[in-house]
Amino acid sequence: MRTYVLKRLVQIVPTVLMITFVVFVMMRSVPGDPVVSVLGDAYTEEDAIKAREAYGLNKPIVVQYFIWLGKLVQGDWGASILTGRPVLQDVLIRLPVTLELIVLSMFVALVIAVPAAIIGALRQNTWADYTATTAAMIGVSIPEFFIGVLLLLGFSIGLGGLLPSSGWVYLPGTCPSIVCRASLWGNTQHVLMPAFALGVGRAAILTRLLRASMLEVIRTEYVTTARAKGLSERPVVFKHALKNALIPTVTVMGLQVGFLIGGAIVVETLFAMPGLGTFGIDAIVARDYQQVQGFALITALAFVVINLLVDLTYTFLDPRIRYA
Amino acid sequence: MANGGESLRGALGEAALPAGIAVSSAGARSESPLRRAIHRLRKSTTAVIGVVIVAALLLVALFADALAPQSPIANDQTQTFARPSFGHPLGTDQLGRDMLSRVIHGTRISLLVGVSSVLLALFVGVPLGLIAGYYGGRVDSVVMRTMDLILAFPIYLLAIILMVIFTPTAGLIGTIKVTGAIAIVRIPIYARLVRGSVLSIKEKEYIEACRALGVRDPLILARHVLPNCLAPIIVTTTLGIATSIIVEATLSFLGLGTQPPTPSWGWDLKANVAFIQANPWLSLFPGLAIFVTVLGFNLFGDGLRDALDPRLK
Repeated sequence: MRTYVLKRLVQIVPTVLMITFVVFVMMRSVPGDPVVSVLGDAYTEEDAIKAREAYGLNKPIVVQYFIWLGKLVQGDWGASILTGRPVLQDVLIRLPVTLELIVLSMFVALVIAVPAAIIGALRQNTWADYTATTAAMIGVSIPEFFIGVLLLLGFSIGLGGLLPSSGWVYLPGTCPSIVCRASLWGNTQHVLMPAFALGVGRAAILTRLLRASMLEVIRTEYVTTARAKGLSERPVVFKHALKNALIPTVTVMGLQVGFLIGGAIVVETLFAMPGLGTFGIDAIVARDYQQVQGFALITALAFVVINLLVDLTYTFLDPRIRYA
Repeated sequence: MANGGESLRGALGEAALPAGIAVSSAGARSESPLRRAIHRLRKSTTAVIGVVIVAALLLVALFADALAPQSPIANDQTQTFARPSFGHPLGTDQLGRDMLSRVIHGTRISLLVGVSSVLLALFVGVPLGLIAGYYGGRVDSVVMRTMDLILAFPIYLLAIILMVIFTPTAGLIGTIKVTGAIAIVRIPIYARLVRGSVLSIKEKEYIEACRALGVRDPLILARHVLPNCLAPIIVTTTLGIATSIIVEATLSFLGLGTQPPTPSWGWDLKANVAFIQANPWLSLFPGLAIFVTVLGFNLFGDGLRDALDPRLK
């Protein structure tokens, strides 16, 4: 097991290198020159050449990449071309916001999906099942930002500003500067709608998958055996059926990570949250090379680490699966 | 060449016959598999609802000019933020443009990008999957590693960067750019799907029979391998259109889709969120339009899957 994890951790390296390299090359093929926006109105050809030299932008792309990589292994993520702020510092400030959003939205998804899928599967073709499957069908068809808009209409405007429509209050202790606000209650108010906007879509996908695999599992012989030996319904459903039904579901949820990252960008944009999603999209649009590299790196890391966690979850769900 | 093709077709027809009989003898003899699938599709209420929604949207897109009461891009400074009324059933936006007309015309961009990006992805992905699966070896490695490279990316990261490279613009050119960006990120899905099917199909006896008869590879691939992996392709295509429409709306929402003044639902929704307090309906209707469209393709796709592969039900 330990060797397997180590092997997988080593395999992460080429994937991350490849993603960051492709992003590096792609960003530099975006038409236009970031030096122009850095210099602004004071632009002269002479200054531009100096600036390009200062940022190392006059070197070949591959050389630039290895310079970036060389600094990275020393813990230097570079500094923003536009603001001069260290990229790592910005990433670390914004990471907790996005992590909180994603973890809570997955929690929302599980809390909705697991009961809905179990009821749907156990009472197949009843009204409860139809309600669950219809709701799930609607859920997979609504983009996150429209759920967000509906929540805004309901809770921010409809209920007289019960929940704030934008901005952020940090969790106590995570406040990055002296000007920001931090309180548990304020944070809860700000994170509720974004977490639901992102979670509802995942809940719908999860419900559909889990219901389908539950339906398969409850017809297997070991579930019949469990019932026949006199187990009550609860351990049959949770220990025998649900655990096995979760295996294919977890796989697909792992594949959904790419969509979750897009969802985070959209939801953070809609609710004006200071997270990694807004950081990334702003950096890409402004062509801030260093910030984009930082965003690509943290996204690639998250992507491969979550996929590793998904694979490790299998051993918990099905002890027969062993990684040598 | 033409004659050779004709005689081959005759030989192929016979070679493919045993497989054809084996399939149809499993069910009612008088009905073709296609007929049975259509019959099953018609029995499913949800699939019929999906087909009706998709058909209605196609009509709206085709006849948008006739259906829309006004031009979707005509500004009217005297009519900004008009509330829904007889003249403007969905009100007007900050430039005084009629929202109903914009929502109607938005159907075009959404359907055009949704359908054409999937077709483009199919056009590239299916041949790649066929070749990789059929020839195996080095060809397979090169093609599939390239596909894995695209799949290794979080889909939105790639689509967003591609759109920044293409630089979003308005009108038809802008629409083509979005279509291209979405198609590129979707190609691997079809390549992998087709390759998987081909791997099992190429071991079948009727393919061996074709080879023994001296049929050339392109013909085997086009006439015997491809038709046999069509069912999963059709289902994935329909559901893929739903996904592509969401991706298009999301890119638009982030300001990276087709640019204004071309009406696009995602853009209209985002632009009007700023005014949601006083004019809540302005964001509501473009959002509803996206939802109904995606729902239609999802219902249709689900119905197709059940109809084409009853074992999955």
